[in-house]
Amino acid sequence: MADPAAASGYHDPPPRMGFFTDTSVCIGCKACEVACKEWNAVPDDGLAFTGMSYDNTVGLGADTWRHVAFIEQRRPVPAGADRDGKEGEAEDGLRWLMASDVCKHCTNAACLDVCPTGALFRTEFGTVVVQEDICNGCGYCIPACPYGVIDQRKGDGRAWKCTLCYDRLGAGMTPACAQACPTESIQFGPLDELRQRAAARLDQLHGEGAAEARLYGEDPGDGVGGDGAFFLLLDEPEVYGLPPDPVVTTRDLPSMWRHAAAAATGLMAAAAAAFAAEWLGRRG
Amino acid sequence: MQADGKAWLFAPAGLVDGPLPVHYEPQESPFRNPLYGQQRNPVRQVTGFSHPGNRLQPSGGEPGADVFPYVATTYRLTEHHTAGGMSRWLPYLAELQPEFFCEVSPELAAERDLEYLGWATIVTARAAIEARVLVTERMVTLTVGGRRLHQVGLPYHWGGNGLSPGDSANDLIGLSLDPNVHIQEDKAFACDIRPGRRPRGPARLDLVQEYQRRAGITGQTGMEV
Repeated sequence: MADPAAASGYHDPPPRMGFFTDTSVCIGCKACEVACKEWNAVPDDGLAFTGMSYDNTVGLGADTWRHVAFIEQRRPVPAGADRDGKEGEAEDGLRWLMASDVCKHCTNAACLDVCPTGALFRTEFGTVVVQEDICNGCGYCIPACPYGVIDQRKGDGRAWKCTLCYDRLGAGMTPACAQACPTESIQFGPLDELRQRAAARLDQLHGEGAAEARLYGEDPGDGVGGDGAFFLLLDEPEVYGLPPDPVVTTRDLPSMWRHAAAAATGLMAAAAAAFAAEWLGRRG
Repeated sequence: MQADGKAWLFAPAGLVDGPLPVHYEPQESPFRNPLYGQQRNPVRQVTGFSHPGNRLQPSGGEPGADVFPYVATTYRLTEHHTAGGMSRWLPYLAELQPEFFCEVSPELAAERDLEYLGWATIVTARAAIEARVLVTERMVTLTVGGRRLHQVGLPYHWGGNGLSPGDSANDLIGLSLDPNVHIQEDKAFACDIRPGRRPRGPARLDLVQEYQRRAGITGQTGMEV
């Protein structure tokens, strides 16, 4: 699907907007988490000390729409070249990865597919948003999300997640997290432009020897048709708690329905045949 | 730093302890000064601060220095503002760093039976405070003069009120001021660390006084030029 907004029935929609989160420059300040909660009036969700490095947020949820992960890795660190250009021996070192996670605003969004009320909808910017005044709290979207992003708020029952600041986008503004990010780790813009920028940044990092740098969610050919919010990672996605090969959970739904329909038709035909045989037998 | 944005190594005027930089050990150090016979900055401000609540500790080479075998350092976290008096009251900030903690290396945790996510008590000649234990390889054990030296990392944003109350790392610090900017030495000082929560009530003061006795600390300790 080239443009999910056009496919959803918008005539001449604006360019698809998204996030490119370049984790290689994230400094772990959590300004994105605070700015998100301030703008969207998301409640705090508990004063729990986790001891997971500096991450006391743990993951995305109904009350956390941006989450900064902190990962401490013991690995060899290149010593760098000396004055004669000779590379030094790699030393045992420690690497501290930080990465700000968010709703991926999938091209093929399963949460949207399964929502029975129409509370979840595709915006003209190609993003996926829950309307809080329509959501009835059925919770179908929660197991449908291949990333485990959308979540039910306790004591409220409705489903909540990142709106990519739909209210700000409508006024031509940048989402709160991207606005607050001091290192431009979170970049906001037309998705086409972000993909070009990400490819250039990846080339630069590979050129500087960061062979493990990779993009995550930028490929329109992946299991969710590409993410509206994609990432540059410095290691395997699993290291950051991201699924390595997400697939839209409604992918097999049409084929499942076709199989169920074929089975139902077959059963009805068999029953009809049994009655017909009985009737013919009696006549005979 | 000068008006042109450059720093001077040779500062002919303006510094009480100029004109050239030299190395002195901190007020409280487990080691003797490896460069000079002069252990501490002779013009640091300690005179007049002799008070039962501000006892200073013996340094490397002096008897009793081994009672405080580790070094502690205090620092900020991005989530809180200065001593935390404002940010501890804000839910969006307090939830990001919700409890006072100390950071120790796996080696120190093993040496002192400190349990990950458990409690530790950090003691100096001024106070005993408690903190949750965060064991991390980021706290590097140093080798100084052939001896393994463990560091204890202490963010200083906590105090007795707010949504996220906790003991204050600043309570550990003695008053020995830099002669130019008059800031106390809270980046490097000697301490001890032990497993479990600190005693409550008068027993807390008893613990501190027991450490003072063991180290032979008097009102004159650490005051010498």
